[in-house]
Parts: sequence; C-alpha cells; structure tokens
Amino acid sequence: MPDLSKMKKPDVKVVLLGDMNVGKTSLLHRYMERKFKDTISTVGGAFFLKQWGPYNISIWDTAGREQFHGLGSMYCRGAAAVILTYDVTNWQSLAELEERFLSLTDTANHDCIYALVGNKADLTDPRAQLPPEAAGLPEDQTEEERTEPRVPSACPTPPASPTSPSGALLHKQVAGEDAAALYGRILRYKGLDEKGSLPAEKMCFETSAKTGYNVDALFETLFDLVLPSILRKRHENQESPTVDLEDFRGVGTKRARSTCC
Amino acid sequence: MEEDNHHDGEAQGVKICDPPSGSNPSADNLATSLSLLGNHMFPDQVVRSDSGIIKRDRDENVHLSDATAEEPSQDPEPPSDPEPKVETDDTQNPECEKESAQLTDGGTEGAAMDNGQSDSGEFVVTVLAKAKLEEQGLGVKGRSSPLLEAGIQESPAFISHRDEDVTADSWRQHRKHVFVLSEAGKPIYSRYGSEEALSSTMGVMMALVSFVQSSDNIIRSVYSDGHTVVFLQKGPLVLVCVSSSRQSEQQLRGELLYVYYQIISMLTQASISRIFEHKKNYDLRRLLAGSEKILDGLLNLVDSDPSFLLAAVHCLPLTSSLRDSLSQILQKAITPNLVFSILIAKNQLLTIIQEKTVIEDTRLEPADVHLLLNLIGASSAFQAGEIWTPICLPLFNPDCYFYAYISYLDPPECTVCLLLLSTDKEAFYAVAECKRKIEEAMVAQNSLSLIAKAQSYSVSQVGVSDLRHFMYKPFDVPDNYRQLTQFTSPEMEAPYSSEEEKMRLLDLYRYMHSRIHSTSRPLKLIYHVAERETLLAWVTSKFELYTCFSPLVTKTCAITAITKLLRWIKKEEDRLFIRYPAKYSTTPNPSKSSKGGKSDQQDSTDNGFLSLL
Repeated sequence: MPDLSKMKKPDVKVVLLGDMNVGKTSLLHRYMERKFKDTISTVGGAFFLKQWGPYNISIWDTAGREQFHGLGSMYCRGAAAVILTYDVTNWQSLAELEERFLSLTDTANHDCIYALVGNKADLTDPRAQLPPEAAGLPEDQTEEERTEPRVPSACPTPPASPTSPSGALLHKQVAGEDAAALYGRILRYKGLDEKGSLPAEKMCFETSAKTGYNVDALFETLFDLVLPSILRKRHENQESPTVDLEDFRGVGTKRARSTCC
Repeated sequence: MEEDNHHDGEAQGVKICDPPSGSNPSADNLATSLSLLGNHMFPDQVVRSDSGIIKRDRDENVHLSDATAEEPSQDPEPPSDPEPKVETDDTQNPECEKESAQLTDGGTEGAAMDNGQSDSGEFVVTVLAKAKLEEQGLGVKGRSSPLLEAGIQESPAFISHRDEDVTADSWRQHRKHVFVLSEAGKPIYSRYGSEEALSSTMGVMMALVSFVQSSDNIIRSVYSDGHTVVFLQKGPLVLVCVSSSRQSEQQLRGELLYVYYQIISMLTQASISRIFEHKKNYDLRRLLAGSEKILDGLLNLVDSDPSFLLAAVHCLPLTSSLRDSLSQILQKAITPNLVFSILIAKNQLLTIIQEKTVIEDTRLEPADVHLLLNLIGASSAFQAGEIWTPICLPLFNPDCYFYAYISYLDPPECTVCLLLLSTDKEAFYAVAECKRKIEEAMVAQNSLSLIAKAQSYSVSQVGVSDLRHFMYKPFDVPDNYRQLTQFTSPEMEAPYSSEEEKMRLLDLYRYMHSRIHSTSRPLKLIYHVAERETLLAWVTSKFELYTCFSPLVTKTCAITAITKLLRWIKKEEDRLFIRYPAKYSTTPNPSKSSKGGKSDQQDSTDNGFLSLL
C-alpha cells in the first residue's frame, strides 16, 4: 500500500497496456502534450499525473516489451480503467492483448473499466488522417470530439479501402468487429455481465496518435467514466475517520490501510 | 620514443587461446575452414590466406607462438607476411583445397552454419581477404524482418540502421560492427543491418566459435589487413566485434563486455542462463525487442565518450559548497529500501549518495554508472513522466534487479535528472515522494539555477600554452577510500571541435591507452609525436594522465606543462571531483524506518526477478 503515502494523491489510476510499437506512449504524448513525435521504446513504466477538473488522474504508460512483462500486474494494481491498445495494421497486436496482457489486469479494481483501442487508424482510414485541430482551436475541437467521433469507431469501416487521396493506405488487419468480439471475451473473462457493463460500441475506439484522431475522445470518455469510481472512493474515505490520508503520513501506511479495509 | 606504426606492427592472423595441453591440428583446420568458407562461396576466387596467420596463445600474456613473428621487443614488423602462416608453416594451399569439402561438411554438422548463404561467405572473405574481395552480386538482399515491419513504419529513424542492405559496400564499411548471438547460433543483436538478414553470417561466426571449442580451445580474435575480429563468450552468449578502428583487442573486448553488461542490466545474468538452460535455441530478441536503441546508444557512447575507455565516471565541475548542499538535499529525502540517489546534469554526474548498510564494503562501479547514464539517455522520450523500471547493475550484482526511478527536475528543458534506486519493486510512490521532497528543497535553495550555470571547463583555464586537451584519472584519493573512480577532462575545443577531429583525438588517446595497457609490454610513459599533435601519456601509482599538445612542443616543454597541469588539478580538486561521497542510512534511524514500508530488507532485495515465460 505504498501509494497511500503519496503527497499529491492520485484519485484514480488508468493504465495503458498493449504490445510494443502499438503506440501507447504516442497516444499519451498526443493527449498530454498535443504533439506527435518519435518515441523510444518505453522502459518499465512511466507515470503521469493528469488534472481532470478537481481530480488527479494517474496514468501509467507501460512498456509493451516482453522484457517488462513481470511488472505489468504491479502497474495494474488498483486500476480503475485499463486501456488495451493494439495496432489496426497488425493482427498479432490484438491477439497479444488476449494472450499476454489480459491476465495482468487481474490485480485491477473489481469495477475496473476496459477500453479497446486500435491505434494507427490514419494508416488505414482516410478519415483519421485529418488532424482534428484542422478545423479550429484544439479546445473547441475536443469538446466536439467527445461526442462525435465515437460513431466512426463504433461502426468501423470495412477493411478494404484501397483508394485514398493521400496515398498508400495499409491493409487494415483488425476490423472493428474483431475488437468488439474481444471486448466481449474480456467481459466474460472478468465474469462481468455483458448487459450490466458498458457496451462494446462505447468502449472500442480507433485512434491515431499521429493525427490526433479520436485521442481526446478516448481519454476524456474514460475519465468521465471513472468519475463515479473516484466519487465512491472519496465517499468511502469520508465515512472513515481518516478523511485525508496526508495527515497520517507520519504515522504510516499501516493505519491508513486498516481504515479502508 | 615510440612511433605510430602500431598498425603495421599488428600481426595478422587468428588468435586462439590454447590450454596448456600440447598442440593439436585444429588450428590448421580452422585456417583452412576459414578460407574455405570463402572458397565455398566464391569458387573462382583465390582467398588470400596469405594475409592470415593463425596465432595460438599458450597464455594470454605471451603474444607469440611457434611461427608468428611478433617478438616482445615490439619492433615494427613487415607490413604483411609474404608466406601463408598458419600455425606451423606447413599448411599449403593444395592441402586446403583437398580438405575443403570435408571441412565445410564438418562445419555444417558442428554448428548452426546450415545454409551457406553467400553473405556469410562474403563476410569471412571480407575479414580474411578484404583486399581481394570482388563483388559478385551474390548477396542476399536485405530481407527485412517481419517482426520489425510490424509496427514501426512511423519512425524511420528507428529502423534506418536495421534496414541496411547487409550486402552493400556501405554496410561493410562501418567502422565497428557488433554482433550478439546465442550459443545455438541464433542472432540476438547486430549494430547495423537486421539480425535476420545476418543470420547466416552469425551462423559462420558460431561455426568458428564451436569449431575451435570442439578442440578445447577458445577463439579470441582474428586479424586481417584492415579488420580485427574479437570474440567474447559470456555464458550462453557470444559477442563478436568486427572493427577497423585499429583499437587493441583488449579495448575491443572491453567494449564487448559493456554490451554484455547492458544486456545483463536489462535481463539479469540469472534469467539469461535460466532461459537458455530451458531452451537452447530460445530467441532472446523476444525479450530484447525494443532495447536495440539502448544497445545502439551504448555503442555510440563507447565510441565517443572516453569514460568507457578509462573505466571512470566524469562529473560536472561544481563548487564544493554547491555539491555538498545537493548531497544534503538527497540525504534528507530517503525512504526504506532506497539505496542510491544520483543527480545528473547534462549527462554528467553531480553527486551520488548511497545507503550505508547495504553497501558497506561494495562501491558503485563506474561501468554500472555508465549503464545507468546510457539508460537515461535512451529513455528520455517523454520527459514529463516519472519512469519506474527494473534495472540490474551487473557489477554490483548480476542476478538481481534494482528498481530505478527516473525523473527530470527541470521540465521542459530536461537537463537535470534524478535517479533513485530502490530494492523494493512496490516502492514507486514512496520513492516519488522523495523526489517531491528533493524538488521542494531545490526550489528553496535555488539549486536548479545554480546547476544550470555549472559547465565543463576550458583547457585555457589551466593556463598552460601548447596544452590542447587532457584526461586525468586519479586512483583512490587518500581521504576517500574506495571511491567511485573518476576522471576529469576539459571540453574538446578547436582544433577538435568537429566530430571527425574529436574522433581522431579519441583514436589517438585509444592508441596511447593501448600502449600503456598492453599485455605484452605495458608502458609507464609515452611521448608520441603524431602528425598534427604531440601526445604524452603517463601512468603512475597515483594517476593516469593523457595529454595532447600542439605539434611543436618540445619534450622539456611538455614535462613542464604537465607539472603545471598537475598542480592546477590539485588546486581545483574539490571542484573537479566528487570528493566526499555522502552516505545515508535508511534502517537504523527509527523515526524514518517506522514510516511506510514494513517489508523487510532481506526479502525485498531478491524479489526482483521478472517472471519469464
């Protein structure tokens, strides 16, 4: 329970998982810094704190490399949301999610929500090639995006779209239905009722970190969805005598632990 | 007075370390198989085995054997031997021819040299008879790996070296190739070109290794006209360097060792041995995928940073009061299981603090610090975040992981980096809290702006005309028993401002270093008149010094200059080096240890194995 002793205490934890080179770091970088640049293969995991309204959301960008596989469950401990990322041009990256990464989420919260994200959509989908910022200010755009682009991600384009004005499109190896099917399997793996859970249409995204397509929508949808979890956690804390764990830092985590269990 | 004819003096041949048991015919066979690998691929081409001598060392220190001409006197040898020299002079070309089929067959069985692809043959020919090589257009066109194609289209910088056509001349012309393969001959890493395209080349390398091994020998190196091939076997890994840099075999082997350590730092020695015990032909690239950048970065550093050559760390000059105050800040921000706190600016050390009890009589080795610095350099992708990653310090303990917390203190500039090493996998939040304390204290003391002013110094500050550059490495400073080995060196300034000139100076230093540390005839003092500068290297029981003067300096001048330089360094010592490495204690202090983690020290030190497979 060392996370309870943190000063700027994150209210909720979001974890990015997925095979190497699917673009986890790029997605986060796009969202946090509004930029796309070459990234270097992540070592271990990188921790980011995002201010979301009055809440602190911690985001763990993990390494996709098998080398760091052993750490995955540690990063996932107590997560409220897990973003399972794959590359739409690489079927294997979707398969890896099920094979390697799903089991890591065993340590996540029982009410953890899962999002399936197919990145690099710009390589297969001309719509994803237009930067969302092209129309106006990024701020306005993000507001629009929060509602709008869910539609294209929900009803995915057919894989074969060979003609494109902006040149060579790659073959799309992972169709939206495949992701939705995997989402269903994830729910079953978690023993969650499909009806009681968030629908696949809402939780499967296709994004492009390169153009920014759907990126804000992804993170902001998730953040909105984890809010209830934050509120509940705060509420639980309010009921307990330890309102703010910061006051008890000197005493130690033992005390804090006993109060929340 | 020594002359710069080192290269002509290098005997050419294959050097094998031979256990004391008497001679055996394997060297003959090796030489022929070497040439035959070439012949096999290029039937109509005469392999210049006359430029190759097989050398077998009874002992590493004795540099010569039966037939080879290298005398301890180190006199310049004739540039190349006219006669084919293969161990005992009796091997003749006709014999080679006869044995050809048999040997190649043997090789196929013995090792993973299955498909005698032309690029592998070409490679050996290149090594052995570069001068005679003819382009035959037989190469395997750079087969790009499906693994690599999978997901990195968007970062061409990343794949540039990996994509190289390994049959092209430009590939062969790289100054220094490094290959890593498993004992089963499986490619693990190549500095240039994709491992897949090079699998047959690596197969040949493995064939050489196992061929020599089959007669209870160890292959150490192969010399040719322009290239030195150095082999290093470490556990289940084989590392090979093919270099035209004219460095000594020892230096090249040292560099391979750094590569090995970097791999260990990512996977640990224990898990590598475990993996290969279970599965001999495991593809280690699965675990190293994505780490190529780190190895590439290391090799670039090894080529451009003398720290590796000197096996010492370079710290940023700081007034001792500032360094002390930084150390105190680090000392106050501790948490259980924290063992090292390291502050780095501009890729140089500011200060290192270590836990007292854990490291009672061990010290952090320079090589481990180099690996950490390289890791930071290669992982600075995204600076706002706080990185938490397992890392093994191979010289500290090759089988266990530390957990490294890496964070920049001055975003967005990202020049000042904090590195905290803990033995507890779960300690991220506690360690991150230390960072916040450090940050607060540094704001209060305005440390960041003071650090920003710190910079390396100019050689002109020494006030010795004719002195262009130097590297000074003191051995254990008396009041600092068992301190981290450090060295100091000014900026490289004109005429060494261009990359080529910097490299040229470093090459000269490497040459001096190789003479000083020669296994056959080590030297204490070298005065070396090179084409465009004069160098003087001097090693005593107290220090190792390399100096570079303008070409017209006289010997007397140089000696006087060095006396002045040593006096200047003595005066500036407090600023140039970390003098008093501070220690802290996380355990015996009851007020501290009551806080947070209850996990006991012993348990957490070895909980670090990554679950593999």
